[in-house]
Amino acid sequence: MKFSYKILICTIMIMAAAFGFSGYYFVNYIFETSLEREVSQAMDDSSVLQFAFETAALNIPSKYDILPDSIAEQIGFSLENSGKGNGRLLRLSDEEKRVLYVSDGFAETADFLDKTSEETRIYQVLPQGERYYIQTGTKFYALGRVLYLETMRDVTEVFKERAMGFSVYRKVTVVVLLVSSLVMLFLSRWLTEPIRRLKDAAKKMASGDYRVRAVCSSTDEMGELTKDFNRMAEALENTIQNLKEEVQAREEFIAAFSHELKTPLTSMVGYADMLRSRKLEEEKQFLAANYIYTESRRLEKMSFRLLDMIVAKQQGAARRKTEVSVFFEHLREMFGNDDSVELRISYEAAEVCADTELLTTVLINLTDNAVKASKPGGVIELNGRREEEGYRFLVKDYGEGIPAEECKKITEAFYMVDKSRSRSKNGAGLGLALCSTFLELHGTCLEIESCPGKGSCFSFLLPKEVLNEEK
Amino acid sequence: MRIKILIVDDEKPICDLMEMNLQAAGYDCKAVQDGLEAIRLIEQEKFDLILLDIMLPGADGYDIMEYIRPLKIPVIFVTAKHEVKDRVKGLKLGAEDYLVKPFDVVELMARVEVVLRRFKKTATVLTAGDVTVDLESRKVTKAGVPVELTNKEYGLLVLFMQNKNIALFKENLYEQVWEDEYLANSRTVEIHVQRLRKKVGWEKCLVAVYKVGYRLECED
Repeated sequence: MKFSYKILICTIMIMAAAFGFSGYYFVNYIFETSLEREVSQAMDDSSVLQFAFETAALNIPSKYDILPDSIAEQIGFSLENSGKGNGRLLRLSDEEKRVLYVSDGFAETADFLDKTSEETRIYQVLPQGERYYIQTGTKFYALGRVLYLETMRDVTEVFKERAMGFSVYRKVTVVVLLVSSLVMLFLSRWLTEPIRRLKDAAKKMASGDYRVRAVCSSTDEMGELTKDFNRMAEALENTIQNLKEEVQAREEFIAAFSHELKTPLTSMVGYADMLRSRKLEEEKQFLAANYIYTESRRLEKMSFRLLDMIVAKQQGAARRKTEVSVFFEHLREMFGNDDSVELRISYEAAEVCADTELLTTVLINLTDNAVKASKPGGVIELNGRREEEGYRFLVKDYGEGIPAEECKKITEAFYMVDKSRSRSKNGAGLGLALCSTFLELHGTCLEIESCPGKGSCFSFLLPKEVLNEEK
Repeated sequence: MRIKILIVDDEKPICDLMEMNLQAAGYDCKAVQDGLEAIRLIEQEKFDLILLDIMLPGADGYDIMEYIRPLKIPVIFVTAKHEVKDRVKGLKLGAEDYLVKPFDVVELMARVEVVLRRFKKTATVLTAGDVTVDLESRKVTKAGVPVELTNKEYGLLVLFMQNKNIALFKENLYEQVWEDEYLANSRTVEIHVQRLRKKVGWEKCLVAVYKVGYRLECED
């Protein structure tokens, strides 16, 4: 059952109970006060009649010592006549409770008079068919006789009013309940609207749409909840996005890896098969053997590089204080004899805290890339300079450059901007991936600025905490 | 007229491998390592078959395929992309076949043969000595007399005749004819070759190569 309906039903139940109880109490209260009034009127009537009877009894001729029955009947008759029109009935009985006078329609009641005494005037409410009466009874003495006077007063109106009150009240209650349920229905829907929106959003998310957000329209707890939900959705979306990207990167890596693995394998298997199954001319035989050799070396190189990456990731960088000159002199030794490019090295002296081996590999890779990108006779600049945040190494060439959209992907494993060229220069597409892995271990990353046709500048900043400047 | 085949692969060693084997089988070959260069060549010359890699510099294999399609030149993709979705994509683009690297040379030759035959660009009758095989009607005759062969024997015979003077390894034979993985020490191939020898009278020219397989020796 919907929450809004629950609210609705609870409210209606409480309202119905409250209306019912208060209505009953109210109608009954009015009824009881009017009945009380009627009772006291009836009592008054009774005492007035008693007084009138006693007065009449005093005025009878003195020849009677004791009030005779006929006179009592006469007085009763005259008393009744005097009060005709107000619906009062009376009955007069003697000491043995024999009736001396009775009005028409007076009810037969047994034992009522037993409870009366001289001092007390009693009454009872008496239903007679559809009508109600208040019956009073009293005992008095008149001229040496004990007499009982009973009256009946019609109070049907009071009961009718009560019944009417109840029925009117029921109708009003029903109407009020209907109207208020309608109002409550809309109200509860409005109140539970944020819950419904949250529910819909959660449902959509469960079915895989992580971009949905619930609309937040209030500042109460519901609004807070919606906000928190949206925050959660945001976090979830980001996490899933990251996971997806990671999975995709891994898939791409595996695809690239299998491609890089299969390509040399194809040659190796093919040429080996040729060598064993056919007699070849010496020249072709050499070619085949040479291809098997070079492709094996390529595979070897790739596996070593991958191994380097894995090992470095697991072992981390073993940092030692090293003069930056060590790196630059090493590079000068390695590439200085290369006549195809002109090497320009300039650096500010400093001491950095780094894993010499890893950093050297990074610099050699970057320089090697620069050499490959340069035209014969091109210039390669190797710079080192102190900066506020640390020490920056720059490797700059004036070669082919890299298109902007390729710059991002260039550090991915097996990514090659120009595949055929890269292969012909014996690359596996792992150099920059290796560099960025090693630099990550030093808490920095590779920055690439490049312009196709004008050259590229690869740089990285060793942060201060791994740098210890000379004083 | 010799059949001309264009090889497009960014790896020089693989180009050379395919070229050497196809040339040995009597095809004319041209090899290029760049997609745009391949398109330029297709515009200039008429080829009977193109062996196409997918990951290429210049223009990738799918783009080249789109370009080739209206020319109605049969194409076999030869690529390291082994996933089903890549194969389906390649075949849907209109390639005749899809060969995944690393491949066996024997398989490459067989597939080239099949595609060329489908396009009726190659002889449908093979001969070796006095034995002739009509690949279309699957009829084998020796000196004009029909020879009854089982399916496997027929498969072996065709392989030997397509690869004259080349040693065929037992595992290759098994994989090509039985289309299943070869189990070491299986004597299935030997038994079938024995029967084939008897049926077509090749006791002398179908020689066993020590330990590894068989070679059909005949002079053309």
